[in-house]
Amino acid sequence: MSDENPRGVGGDKRQALPAEEPARDAHAAASADRGGAEPAGSPGRPGSHGAPGHDEHAGRDERAAGEAVTRGSDEEPEGALAPEGGDEPGVTGRQRLAAALWPPRVTRAQLTVAVLLFVLGLGLAIQVRSTSEGGPLRGARQEDLVRILDELDDRSARLQGEKQRLEGQQRELENSSDQAEEARRQTRQKARQLGVLAGTVGAEGPGLHITVRDPGGAVEADMLLDTIQELRAAGAEAIEVNDVRVVASSYLQGATDVRIDGKAVAPPYRFEVIGEPKDLEPALNIPGGVVQTLEKEQAGVEVSRSEKITVDALRSTKQPDYARSSQ
Amino acid sequence: MIAVLGLIVGVVAGLVVRPVVPTVMEPYLPIAVVAALDAVFGGLRAMLDGIFNDKVFVVSFLSNVVVAALIVFLGDKLGVGAQLSTGVVVVLGIRIFSNAAAIRRHVFRA
Repeated sequence: MSDENPRGVGGDKRQALPAEEPARDAHAAASADRGGAEPAGSPGRPGSHGAPGHDEHAGRDERAAGEAVTRGSDEEPEGALAPEGGDEPGVTGRQRLAAALWPPRVTRAQLTVAVLLFVLGLGLAIQVRSTSEGGPLRGARQEDLVRILDELDDRSARLQGEKQRLEGQQRELENSSDQAEEARRQTRQKARQLGVLAGTVGAEGPGLHITVRDPGGAVEADMLLDTIQELRAAGAEAIEVNDVRVVASSYLQGATDVRIDGKAVAPPYRFEVIGEPKDLEPALNIPGGVVQTLEKEQAGVEVSRSEKITVDALRSTKQPDYARSSQ
Repeated sequence: MIAVLGLIVGVVAGLVVRPVVPTVMEPYLPIAVVAALDAVFGGLRAMLDGIFNDKVFVVSFLSNVVVAALIVFLGDKLGVGAQLSTGVVVVLGIRIFSNAAAIRRHVFRA
């Protein structure tokens, strides 16, 4: 636009004053612009008025005026433009605008401008749309994109490292929880085994029913103890006599009034024994063994195998007062 | 009037047709648009001044666009693209403001 200015104002006066003689246009314009308030029609210098040979002079004046106006419009445009409105009654910028807008005229200028404005509108719309739709990275410059990419790479590497660390931690925890679970399982198993041995839990399995009838009252505690010993020697794992669980600490007292662990046990004596029946039964029936000894005392002994013996008499756990684990 | 219609048709076409700008051209489009805006404001001012010349307008429009794109291209090649395009936008913005001030004086006489 600034390249239009110097020529522009001089040309403006030429177009704006069509009634004046062409030779005087430039002078009029120049004087008007320099003098400011002088009317366009009145000559600034009478000497140059209407002189046909002064074209060159006029041209120089015009240039000077152009420069003056350029400077003026740069520094204080109002001073340069103010006289214009007063000089040309009838044709103001507003009227020119209105004339250009309505009625629409198909002229070369309008068409040219229309084409260029079409291009501008197109570019504007494309740019606005791509900026609003493409996200913040759309209009970013190359170096910014490189920087953002670097930052993202760093961040992704950092997060990758953190992920690996956490995965290792997770594996560790899973292993340790597996180990803890295994330990708990083994502990429970051990507790059951020890419970069977200590008589604090019930037990079931294959074994023998033994019933010792004692009509003569001849069976004494030591005979029952022999029976128990024989069964243990043959591999009995859980023994119950008349609802009394026989364990490691069990003791038998009395002669014919048998007490096991202090509880009186009356005949007939019913043994529930869990163990391998094939081992237990021969152990009882060996010549000179338990069965023969009892039968010698006129006691009746019945031994029967069973695939499912239930030993459900329980003992309460007793905390030892003096014995402590040495481990 | 036809010029204004051209602008409106251009905006509508840009929104409806959604043309794809080549990636090579993409960084220059915003600067070119601002430069073209500057040319349009200059042309409007010239019209209000009564000195509008379509040839001058065409040349100033095209040269503005080309020079602005060229400056950005050069800036990108020199590694100061961001700063240079900021500078171009500032300069064009100042020119648009001064032209707008002149237009305002014509239209509102204030």
